[in-house]
Amino acid sequence: MNPLVAVVLIGVVMVVSVYLVAVIDTAVETRVSGGRGYARAWLAPISRAARLALQRRTVTERPDAEAWVLGPALLGGLAAVALTSIPFAPGVDVADIPAGIVLFGAALLQVMVAVVLHGWGANSVFPLLGAFRMAAVGLSMGIPFSLVLITTAIPAESLSVGAIIASQEGVWNVLRQPIGLPVYLITALGFSFWGPLQLPDGADLAGGTSAEISGTALLVWRIARASILVSLAAMGAAAFLGGYLGPWLPGWLWMIVKTMGLAALMIWSGHRIARARMESVVLLGWTVLLPVALVDVFVSGALTL
Amino acid sequence: MNLISDILFWVFSVAAVVTGLLVFITDSMVRAAYWLMASFVAVGGILMILDAQFLGLILILMMAGEMTIMAIFMVMFMMNPAGLNPMTMVHQHRTSIVAGAGAFVALAAVGLLAEFPDRPVPPGVDPTVDLGVELLGESMLIFESAGVALLAVMIGAVALVSKRGRYGIAEEGSEEPSLEMSEE
Repeated sequence: MNPLVAVVLIGVVMVVSVYLVAVIDTAVETRVSGGRGYARAWLAPISRAARLALQRRTVTERPDAEAWVLGPALLGGLAAVALTSIPFAPGVDVADIPAGIVLFGAALLQVMVAVVLHGWGANSVFPLLGAFRMAAVGLSMGIPFSLVLITTAIPAESLSVGAIIASQEGVWNVLRQPIGLPVYLITALGFSFWGPLQLPDGADLAGGTSAEISGTALLVWRIARASILVSLAAMGAAAFLGGYLGPWLPGWLWMIVKTMGLAALMIWSGHRIARARMESVVLLGWTVLLPVALVDVFVSGALTL
Repeated sequence: MNLISDILFWVFSVAAVVTGLLVFITDSMVRAAYWLMASFVAVGGILMILDAQFLGLILILMMAGEMTIMAIFMVMFMMNPAGLNPMTMVHQHRTSIVAGAGAFVALAAVGLLAEFPDRPVPPGVDPTVDLGVELLGESMLIFESAGVALLAVMIGAVALVSKRGRYGIAEEGSEEPSLEMSEE
């Protein structure tokens, strides 16, 4: 794909999907809190963004300035890299390379680095605690996340995301590997620190890694975080729900529907499920998700043989 | 195409060396760890130019976790308040100068004197498949032994940390044991 077209494509996908995530988030919040007036959901994200763009930026004493400022940018960049490996429609992909799913995994594991750097950079207590939390969540969720993702490559006999989608022509991986999608979604919440796993920058830490930022810095941070959520939802749709495959509708529309469906599910969890405690998250990762993900690998491997 | 990969090779090589140097120049624990990771990411880029996509990407993937662990351990083990203050990354100057110069001479000698094979990957070969065949064919015993050993370490580490904290199961909170003698 022409590099210029690729940049525009990823840019448009990120802008539109981040906006939709914000709209869904507001709508779910309105519904859960028993409010009315969904029209508000379309405008509220824009006014929130405008307010942040005009807000004054705060500074801390002797921050690690580069790490602090570049952390959110790295987070957004990683979301863009992750999106390049996913075909949005037959033939519409930026780089459907032979090891595409490993590229996606590498980009998502680096999310840990972006968040830790951001939290470290502020030179302040709550962001630093948030950084340590991200390391704990990332390390506990990283292995199950990678295992269930790589298991989808077994029936496809290829690490390319395009081939993984094509291998689901008859039956989607969500049925063929029933363990995969639930584990993927839980670990995806960890890597996008969303919903019940919003621990690194959660309200219980007074904002954690984002406690000391305001204005445009906070705006960039929130956009980057939402685009990580979108890239995770898009890969969930591609690896487990057959991506662009589906009857009646055109492929790209199926991809949007599935991606936004998974994103909406993860957003909904944030308004319905209480925030988990760190101890239970680490315990869940190592003693439940990891063994279950290994079973997923072994069963899928045996079935493919 | 060749020109592009040549340019990329030099960009990644210079990046790997410069970020490697920054590991020792910087005065921050976390920066040092992540400069080292940046160096490995550049090496991963070189591996990708060499058409070893899987190896390059898996290197970048693994280093994210490993360097984060390293950064946290360094911060935890430092004597000054939790390794948070600026501090120099070089010490034991004489020993390290000798070790560094020795390693440089040895590696340079290998670079100049060794005969490197010139075997371009023929088109149509999937290096990931070759890697898989190698890992589970000729070299299976070595890699499986290493794999099982590492797995045992991992399970041991999980067993040590997950089951019980000092005052009971982590999940149930940590309540200090009573100071009174138990009646047994």
